[in-house]
Amino acid sequence: MLARTITHALVGIDPRRVEVEAHLQQGLPSFAIVGLADRACQEAKERVRSGISSAELEWPTKRRITVNLAPAALRKEGSGFDLPIALAVLAASYQLPAEALDGHAAFGELALDGRLRPVPGALVAAEGARRSGLTHLVCAAESGPEVALAGVEPVGVRHLADAVAYLRGERDPPELPPPDDDFETLAGVPDLADVRGQERARRALEIAAAGAHNLLLAGPPGTGKTMLARRLPGILPLLDDESSLEATRIHSVSGVLAPGTGLVRVPPFRAPHHSASAAALIGGGVGSPRPGEASLAHHGVLFLDELPEFQRPVLEALRQPLEDGIVTVIRVGGRAVFPARFQVVGAMNLCPCGGRGDGAAQCQCTPERVQRYREKLSRALLDRFDLVLTVPRPRANDLAGAPGEASGPVRERVLRARRNLRERPPRRDPAADDLLTRAVERLPLSGRGRARVARVASTIAALADAATVEAEHLAEALSYRAPAELVE
Amino acid sequence: MTELATVVFAAEAGAHLLDAPRSTRFSSFQRRFDEAAYLRDLSARGIAWIARSDVSFPRRLAEIHDPPPGIFVRSRTALSLEGLPTVAIVGARACSSYGMAVATELGRELAAAGVVVVSGLARGVDAAAHRGALQSGTTLAVLGCGIDRDYPRAHAVLAGEITQRGWIVSEYPPGVEPAPWRFPARNRIVAGLAQATVVVEARERSGALITADLALDEGREVLAVPGEITSQLSRGTNALLRLGATPVTCAADVLDVLGVEPPPAPEPAVLGEPLRAIRSVVADGSVGADAIVRRTGLAAGTVAAALAELELLGLVTQSDGLYREVMGRT
Repeated sequence: MLARTITHALVGIDPRRVEVEAHLQQGLPSFAIVGLADRACQEAKERVRSGISSAELEWPTKRRITVNLAPAALRKEGSGFDLPIALAVLAASYQLPAEALDGHAAFGELALDGRLRPVPGALVAAEGARRSGLTHLVCAAESGPEVALAGVEPVGVRHLADAVAYLRGERDPPELPPPDDDFETLAGVPDLADVRGQERARRALEIAAAGAHNLLLAGPPGTGKTMLARRLPGILPLLDDESSLEATRIHSVSGVLAPGTGLVRVPPFRAPHHSASAAALIGGGVGSPRPGEASLAHHGVLFLDELPEFQRPVLEALRQPLEDGIVTVIRVGGRAVFPARFQVVGAMNLCPCGGRGDGAAQCQCTPERVQRYREKLSRALLDRFDLVLTVPRPRANDLAGAPGEASGPVRERVLRARRNLRERPPRRDPAADDLLTRAVERLPLSGRGRARVARVASTIAALADAATVEAEHLAEALSYRAPAELVE
Repeated sequence: MTELATVVFAAEAGAHLLDAPRSTRFSSFQRRFDEAAYLRDLSARGIAWIARSDVSFPRRLAEIHDPPPGIFVRSRTALSLEGLPTVAIVGARACSSYGMAVATELGRELAAAGVVVVSGLARGVDAAAHRGALQSGTTLAVLGCGIDRDYPRAHAVLAGEITQRGWIVSEYPPGVEPAPWRFPARNRIVAGLAQATVVVEARERSGALITADLALDEGREVLAVPGEITSQLSRGTNALLRLGATPVTCAADVLDVLGVEPPPAPEPAVLGEPLRAIRSVVADGSVGADAIVRRTGLAAGTVAAALAELELLGLVTQSDGLYREVMGRT
């Protein structure tokens, strides 16, 4: 007897339809999985066998069982095939009516006791099911909310026996708990009210949020660079439906989606360590390509602390996503294009020892060392930062002041500025033009630098609700240009 | 005319020679040496040679007790310092942002008054002085390596600008590698070319102090910029001041020593609020933007805009996040 279930393999963040065929024949008892299955997938044998027995179903003995994962040329990875294999075997051994599986896809990992475990990528598998014209997806209960997002009816079950009971028509699909709405709020996001002093950096953060500008913070350790960066998502607009689905897809595949949550609504914040490899940052890995931190930060913030400590090739690899908003990764397991449109916040010390710019510490670095440290940032990379800020160490009494403004009102201003920029982008008035010309004559400002200043100036005007970019807005934008000591 | 042969011979032997040695090795070298061909090759590379016996050899340099046999010059224009006031600005390579700002300002103000600013193209104070001088006048850099080398490499662009609008000078022919022992020798030329030497920031026993000592040996004026008494970087300069060096508080102090008339002061810019308020905060010492916000009660954006305008007007400079007033513009 032959039976068939449908599931979806993940290639990058795209689903590929996979038919799981189980064939039972007379012969020496054996169980073989064919069709380019990787190790985790081969081990499905043991889990499926134990799972079926634990669900008090019958493992077909005295049969030669062959499971084929088609198309055979596609590499299959991971443990999401356990459930479809088990269901196919059960159908092939007449323990499930063959037509019960019509319109259903399956996706999930089996525990030895037959319970179902969630597998990363349920959202993508569900999108695949929808594209294959299937209406239901049998999956682990935890994956239910994710599956529902794709417009497919989730059949979230806790145990293989539940799935079988449902497919036999003995029981209605299990009720799912309503999706947790907390993720839509900014509850867990740190608030700007925690930041004392730092008026200039706060202002720059607000401008960066309003104009989606990349921001570079330089200053001695302990000046709150990381603290500020972490508060950027809290003043950004929530993601709209489409962006949110894109971000959720990537997070789902990477398995970083908190269980029970639905869409990623708060702009993601990713802070890879500076020892990260290029593959970790832009995507890759052995086998089929996986999204990297740059894609996990899609529609959100990529925070690069200790920017000059990153390896040079890693930083250079970031230039494609910064330019195009996508990364193309080519690996043995295939080629994948991941979206990666993010806002970068960089942080760096002014010298390797961190003493520079700190009144309390003496910098011990030789000029050559400082030079080498700063030279790690190529001109090309530095050019991507619209706002560059040097933050000196605040004095003790600056920190004793009242708590700063909370994220809420700042966010309101950011939202209004974004609307202004969209609906009536401000134009430069003659005085601002004049100032920009004077600045280009007097300061070491390249053509690109000039365009950057102009861009930041219109954001500042939009924040001020002004119809035109005035000289004052342009002057402020000039004060956030890269200082000469970093450029030269 | 054995000077050129002497320096080329010294470079090949890895020695430092002031006069032609009396050795058979040198005489045989001199017989082989084709001076005309060597000079042709030099001028093809844009390098000029001025022998000590030449009339255009800088008179002040010839007066020191160990002048070089001659100097190589890389520039668009012929070297002539005759009648021009010259001041050396020297200091620490690992200087503070204060030292950097002061060196730049002194360089600019002195060059604006027609002074040729001499320094050593090193990092820190030297480069800042050159850069400042290039903003308003001319400058001269003395190398401690072969005339064809831009050392340190990071200053290649700066060196290029200096050859356009000033002079690069070395006593060593092309091909000589930088070596630690050549830099003190270079300092004697820096001090020797200048009427007065200004030390901006120097640690104890530093190269800048060697230059100051050499200047004193030749009876030239030595000036020093006062620094914080708690900073290592001011130990050398404050020690010079204690020994009687003239303190520098503005460019006019240096011009006074040279007897040069300072250029007419530019029209003081008429500043509106909030520029005036912010300027008066900056005048009290270097401050970060946040401290200005706190002291004036103005919004961070307003302060940022005002600071940028003050920078453009040349009244305020910024380094490492600290703003300070430009000297001599009060």
